[in-house]
Amino acid sequence: MKPNQLILAAAAGALFILPAWAADNAATNSSEAAEIEALKQQIQELNQKVQALERQRESEPQTAANTNQAQIQELDQKVRILERQHELDKADAAAAVKTQPRLKLDASGFTLSSADTNFAISLHGLVQLDSRTFFADHNIVNDSFLLRRARPIITGTVFHDFDFNFTPDFGGSTVQIQDAYLNYRFVPELQLQAGKFKSPVGLEQLQSDPVTSFNERSLVTDLAPNRDVGVELHGDLFGGTVSYAAGIFNGAPDYNGTTVNSDSDNDKALAGRVFFQPWKPTNVDWLRGLGFGVGGSYESDRNGATGLTPGYTTDGQQKFFAYTNGVVANGQHWRVSPQGYYYYGPFGILGEYVVSDQDVKNGAALADLQNRAWEVSASWVLTGEDASYNGVTPRHPFHLPSGGWGAWQVVGRYEELNVDPSAFPTFASSTASASSAHAWSAGLNWYLNRNVRVNASFSHTVFSGYTGGTPAVPAQAENVFFTRMQLAF
Amino acid sequence: MKTFLTLVLASSLVAAAGAKQIKLLNVSYDPTRELYQEYNAAFAKYWKAKTGDDVVISESHGGSGKQAQSVINGLEADVVTLALAYDIDAIAQRAKLLPADWQKRLPDNSTPYTSTIVFLVRKGNPKHIQDWDDLVKPGVSVVTPNPKTSGGARWTFLAAWAYALEKNNHDEARARDFAARLYKNVPVLDSGARGSTITFVQHEVGDVLLAWENEAHLARKEFGADKFEIVTPSLSILAEPPVAVVDKTARRHGNEIVAQAYLEYLYSEQGQEIAAKNFYRPRNEKIAARYAANFAQLKLVTVDGEFGGWQKAQRKFFGDDGIFDRIYQP
Repeated sequence: MKPNQLILAAAAGALFILPAWAADNAATNSSEAAEIEALKQQIQELNQKVQALERQRESEPQTAANTNQAQIQELDQKVRILERQHELDKADAAAAVKTQPRLKLDASGFTLSSADTNFAISLHGLVQLDSRTFFADHNIVNDSFLLRRARPIITGTVFHDFDFNFTPDFGGSTVQIQDAYLNYRFVPELQLQAGKFKSPVGLEQLQSDPVTSFNERSLVTDLAPNRDVGVELHGDLFGGTVSYAAGIFNGAPDYNGTTVNSDSDNDKALAGRVFFQPWKPTNVDWLRGLGFGVGGSYESDRNGATGLTPGYTTDGQQKFFAYTNGVVANGQHWRVSPQGYYYYGPFGILGEYVVSDQDVKNGAALADLQNRAWEVSASWVLTGEDASYNGVTPRHPFHLPSGGWGAWQVVGRYEELNVDPSAFPTFASSTASASSAHAWSAGLNWYLNRNVRVNASFSHTVFSGYTGGTPAVPAQAENVFFTRMQLAF
Repeated sequence: MKTFLTLVLASSLVAAAGAKQIKLLNVSYDPTRELYQEYNAAFAKYWKAKTGDDVVISESHGGSGKQAQSVINGLEADVVTLALAYDIDAIAQRAKLLPADWQKRLPDNSTPYTSTIVFLVRKGNPKHIQDWDDLVKPGVSVVTPNPKTSGGARWTFLAAWAYALEKNNHDEARARDFAARLYKNVPVLDSGARGSTITFVQHEVGDVLLAWENEAHLARKEFGADKFEIVTPSLSILAEPPVAVVDKTARRHGNEIVAQAYLEYLYSEQGQEIAAKNFYRPRNEKIAARYAANFAQLKLVTVDGEFGGWQKAQRKFFGDDGIFDRIYQP
């Protein structure tokens, strides 16, 4: 029995008992009646309390339901707020990413660029550790390890359209600035470049240093201008099928291993090149790698010795020809260089011919001398990767645990340089210089990955026209074995 | 007849050859999408009839402050139609793309329409929100964007501040306390007005959205009048969104004339009617009278009268280490 039922039973009992008791006692008085009245009142109050309790009990589930509903709504709001906040945070993060600088480090080097790529700076590098071993040279040339190139290369872009390049070289025995230029890309078809960079003439000379087939460029490059200071317009037309460059430069003599950063006379040289790759953007695979063109330069140089070559060198970088003392440049100097290459799959062939025609003077003797050189080099990538003018990218970088051996390439070259016979004996001495050099080379290149390359090659050069005695470079054939370990990124 | 046809054909060809296609970029603030969508079509038709030229108008929308910054950073706007004059002043001062007195070049201080800030509540107004006081009560969740990035939010902040000042006998300390309590009730700060509308309407966050009047009407129109109610507070602010030609950019694009005409046409009867239809308060009295039922009458303070202009208001309330920075704690 519940408490409220007990109370009701007790009250009802009292109602029945009290009247009986009153009947048995005739002496009922007014105080007893009042007491009965009070009890009735109490019963009524108790009854009301019971009813109130019952009502309260009935309403309890509803109140609890309301409380639960409110809590659910509150939690629902919190979840919605968190969801929305998460959305906004994601949007903010995405927006922030768009404005944050980007950092990239990979086989192409280290690049830091603004989010919109309008500003970028990249650090690249090139280190070449070579060895040259000469055979049967009567010990006139030192066998040597040498730091051929050691170049930190800084390139970049400012305000989207302006590119720059700064490349010092700590290899060799002197520090040189190889490249320092600013290039304005108005459109790909029209760009203006100013500073110090490669003169746009020789195909082999223009090939990037880390990707040449051999340690040293061929005899052809003896007749082409090296890096020069000037301004050029250049660009790629018709989807890259035609590229051109034309500029005005201080003027570089034939073979100039050590370039300078200023002009030593008032004369300026014009240089230009046009190169065609008609099938480059097509699907004709076997013709896509064909390129051909012509480069040339012209200068009227009347300032004597500074316009004249310091001499021509062999593959082993030994001088085999030089004008005699007193010979100076004396007028026009022009070059023409038809050139071309063809790459198809692992096969590649590159050829170039150069004529360097220069007016010279030795005292009262005048001459217009025409020196010529040509070369053909061929290559085959044994591991099947595509050969190209821009090098070889190994399909499976060297990594013994995974069986990667990099890319292997065999290379061969034939080259000649012929000095104008009229140079002898008035302008050059056959007892000091050879009148021509002919060389063949063969080598093996191992591309461990995109950054590391090891190569070895052998060059054999013979000379003619030399009448001097030994010991001297042109007195016997040059036989030199090259090796190289290269890091380029 | 043959000659006549030839002449007609020839003149048509000449006309066709002379027609230009003009591209115009209007960089605007968040809730004007619908307004300018309709207005651009009307203007293009008007311009074609007037000059024969086709004009294609692109729009960019976002928080007014962010949009101004984008223009300063190089977004090539021919015209800007932003939420408040301060943002166009910033373009004039920092990027020098238009003169400092740009506001004098068009009627009504270059504000062809006005608006105000109202409350949008859920149907039945379950939290019984009637005025600004109700927003600071505990348990009331208020949705409004960030005054640092949104023009509408800055108008809102100033409206709340003006109310608090009036209620507290211009006691700044109490107004500051009021603002602090108000933003304590804000659970999410979107960067723009449209984002806040999405938060309130689509994500069902909050009890009340402090919204541009046009945005509140649009929300009801788009998402159902049976879901939301507009509550007009006893006091709010007269928001005057300005418009301006970005001279240097328009000149570089060869768009000076069409850009000027684009803004002037906002003052035409048709332009004013389009504004009114999109719940912006038109300046033209005739049009305003026609659409009077759309706009509740309430006491409106002005930024010049109450706060001494936008430059002062910006510095005091929304600048770095301004009052908003001090009272708002996320």
